[in-house]
Amino acid sequence: MNARSAPSAIETCLSGFFAGFGAYDVDVPLLQPAEPYLDSTGEALRRRIFLTRGEAGEVLCLRPDFTIPVCLAHIAATNPLPRRYSYIGPIFRQSGTGAPETRQAGLEDLGDADKAAADARVLAQALECLSACGLTTDKIEVVLGDQGLFEAFLEGLGLPGSWQRRLIRTFGDEAALTSALDDLARHDGRSLKGLDPELRRLAMRRDLPALEAAIESLKEEGGLPPHSGRTAAEIAARLVEKVAFAATALSEASLLRLRDFLSVDCSLDQAPQTLAAVCGDDIDLGRALVFFERRAEALREAGVDLAGIRYRAAFGRAIDYYTGLVFEARLRGGDEPLAGGGRYDRLLAYLGATEPVPAVGVSFWLDRIEAAGARQ
Amino acid sequence: MTLTLAIPSKGRMKDDCIAALARAGIHVEPAADARSYRTTVSGIEGLDVLLLSASEIARQLREGAVDFGITGEDLIRESIAEPEESVDFIARLGFGRADVVVAVPDAWVDVDTMEDLNDVAASFRQKHQRRLRIATKYWRLTQGFFTRLHGIQTYRIVESLGATEGAPATGSAEIIVDITSTGSTLAANRLKILRDGVILSSEACLLMAKADRNAADAAVAAEVAGRFRAG
Repeated sequence: MNARSAPSAIETCLSGFFAGFGAYDVDVPLLQPAEPYLDSTGEALRRRIFLTRGEAGEVLCLRPDFTIPVCLAHIAATNPLPRRYSYIGPIFRQSGTGAPETRQAGLEDLGDADKAAADARVLAQALECLSACGLTTDKIEVVLGDQGLFEAFLEGLGLPGSWQRRLIRTFGDEAALTSALDDLARHDGRSLKGLDPELRRLAMRRDLPALEAAIESLKEEGGLPPHSGRTAAEIAARLVEKVAFAATALSEASLLRLRDFLSVDCSLDQAPQTLAAVCGDDIDLGRALVFFERRAEALREAGVDLAGIRYRAAFGRAIDYYTGLVFEARLRGGDEPLAGGGRYDRLLAYLGATEPVPAVGVSFWLDRIEAAGARQ
Repeated sequence: MTLTLAIPSKGRMKDDCIAALARAGIHVEPAADARSYRTTVSGIEGLDVLLLSASEIARQLREGAVDFGITGEDLIRESIAEPEESVDFIARLGFGRADVVVAVPDAWVDVDTMEDLNDVAASFRQKHQRRLRIATKYWRLTQGFFTRLHGIQTYRIVESLGATEGAPATGSAEIIVDITSTGSTLAANRLKILRDGVILSSEACLLMAKADRNAADAAVAAEVAGRFRAG
């Protein structure tokens, strides 16, 4: 299946580790249905993958990653959980620069309900693998982020739900987050400009039955299918929410505190004190912080030096199936990740799993790791 | 060698093209054979005219198979990934004006801007077990606008080759990206254009394929371009 016949030294080394970690080695076809990728990651991926069509018109792609096909294979096989998988092989992406074919290896850890332990295990094992490839912690820089803490901070600030959603959507994309913050800070009610005055009045009075009736009749006039798409109730509820906050802006004080939080960049062992300082007396990160600390403790128990890991509060991945931990390892001063991973609790449900499956994984960029090893 | 200029083969666009060329002193002669797709011009030496469909003109320019073309900016930007790398925009011709827009049902009274749409798209899957669908024939323009400009990732594009404005009513998509000149078709279908939902204000453009031309051809090309740039 793989384009390379003989495994490289690094591949052999990693395979040995993966087996030792109790992972089942899986092989998935190079040619994959494109639909699951486009549906879970988004249409933007279309420009970055190699698409082709089968004779029956089905859209196929050269696999741009392993995580999705490994999860699909897991769902199809209805294997018992928890279960760990590993993979090694080429992936294909159009990047503009760099070779479109590159090799990846990785681990996927599915179904472990103890998420803090699973997070820590995957990260600790990723560092162990890198170390075995000659990339010991003194040579690399590891950054960790946690969307759960960001979400808890927003909630603690008492921001309206729509603002929280908006900011969470941009988490991991610093330019988008900055512009969303600027936008919320100068919110001036323009957003209601096109709204019919009668609907506006109903929304301000929170008269949901009257709003829903008005929306229902607009749907009928437009000939919209009554039982699919957005419902009148859904539209009315969002309108009420929008009208309620249209006249308010993110306060200067909240904006400053959010910026303080997002600028947190410290070693993982310093994170509790640093977070306590930005939270002050009034913001309680609650379970998110408990979880964060349990994960850190599990990392320490696994022998990871917390002082050697950077926690950046603004570090995340702006893909909606990533839900918590993200991490990346680079050479010190390097600009490309050697390994990256995170928690993607929503992905298996997106791909058709009948129950929610907690999931966390890591992938290794083998060509970069080999090149980095050669430079040492 | 003779350079070629591709213009739309029929309709209002064709008539407007011939008129615009005439104003620049380039007179398109009727084809000797009415069924022919190639004809000649007077008023300039070394230029032939090809009559092609408007979308074919964009592709032929991209391939460098024709030297000049007149077609809608929407088709150029949709058919060519990086238009500035393969064609020069010589002139905007002032006809064939139409906007490529994002339109949603009137019943979506809570949605007025792209940011509203972003919020709706982000929570759509949770409520409806699938992504928000956009019907369009403009894949590239839609992706660029939604993803690159507005950071919206959570949507699917449904290919629509005609009567796109009917997609929300037939249930094949929730919203559309389509071209409109007066907005009347959208209004008749109870769709509204988002306040910041104009992706492109398009009109007919004269384009020149980037190519290495010999001195004689380059001189003809410069002459054609010069007549439009001056005007």
